[in-house]
Amino acid sequence: MGEVVAAALTSHAPLITGKPDIARPEQRERLYAGFHEVGRRLADARPELIVMFVNDHLQNFPYSNLPAFCVGLADDYDAPSAGGGAFMRIPPRKLRGDRATAMALLEAGLDEGFDFAYSYEIESWDELSVPLHFLTPDGDIPIVPVYTNCAAPPLPRLRRCHEMGAFVGRFVRAHAGARRVALVASGGISHWVGTPETGRINPEWDRLVLDHIARADVEPLLRLTHAEIERDGGNGGQEIRNWVALLGAVPGWKGEPLAYEPVAEWITGCATVWVHP
Amino acid sequence: MTAPTVSYALNKVLTAVARQHTMKPALTDDDLTGHTLSGPERAALKAGDIDALYRLGANPYLIRRVFRARFKI
Repeated sequence: MGEVVAAALTSHAPLITGKPDIARPEQRERLYAGFHEVGRRLADARPELIVMFVNDHLQNFPYSNLPAFCVGLADDYDAPSAGGGAFMRIPPRKLRGDRATAMALLEAGLDEGFDFAYSYEIESWDELSVPLHFLTPDGDIPIVPVYTNCAAPPLPRLRRCHEMGAFVGRFVRAHAGARRVALVASGGISHWVGTPETGRINPEWDRLVLDHIARADVEPLLRLTHAEIERDGGNGGQEIRNWVALLGAVPGWKGEPLAYEPVAEWITGCATVWVHP
Repeated sequence: MTAPTVSYALNKVLTAVARQHTMKPALTDDDLTGHTLSGPERAALKAGDIDALYRLGANPYLIRRVFRARFKI
């Protein structure tokens, strides 16, 4: 039997590491402190595997082939690649995958009504590279990434994302080969990227999202429509699907915000949240 | 619920350019060779008109990747 020993939510944005100098120093340091605190708690939990709830940004999955949910089966993940590392100012590295567990997750999904797509080759961008740069600096914990389409509408509904995460949580706890497992979701909170409103952040909505998570009150989040998120959280806010999926895996667990900074220079409402029973 | 506007033609050409890992202020006829585009789509790509591309159904992440220099931030 596996055990969920840690769970955390973080934002991701390439500028968090790529252009640290353009942010206000006090904001940058508070956010970095939040990342480092998650990293410290994660290390204390001694996970043997990290399941990552993340999303692609049309690097891996183009409009010719766009899965709603996709499990990574790669032997390892460029997180980041040399090119991505130059942009994000993170040393290139490869993070080990866990194909056996990922394949078992796929098979279990097929048995229980979650027909994940799968990929043997994924080039990570900021969705894995940025949070794991802080959380697992040694890069010695294998990962299983679960990708959700948050970038190319129509997107899976939030309730379905929550159900998918609940399935992953059941799998982790029941899977005979599983071990001490951490769950990490990255994305959000509000940000407008590539739209006419690029650069906008909505701290009020961000705090609303964080407040619901702090109270383990996810139902209002599950009712959010694509249009409502687009209006209040921007196209980048659609990435809260990853957070909602993780929360499905740990029903009743509450979020403890460790940092929240609406960093205009990074065009993202940035947060780190520890999730616990 | 209203389905979002999506132009597969625009996203196909932007994906092709994005995969070259180059950012451009505007696309050229060479970039558009072999792609079937409407007049407004072609004009917006050649002008690097990021607002028009968004309205015409280009994905904002692809707009950002290809035309990053057009953004104020």
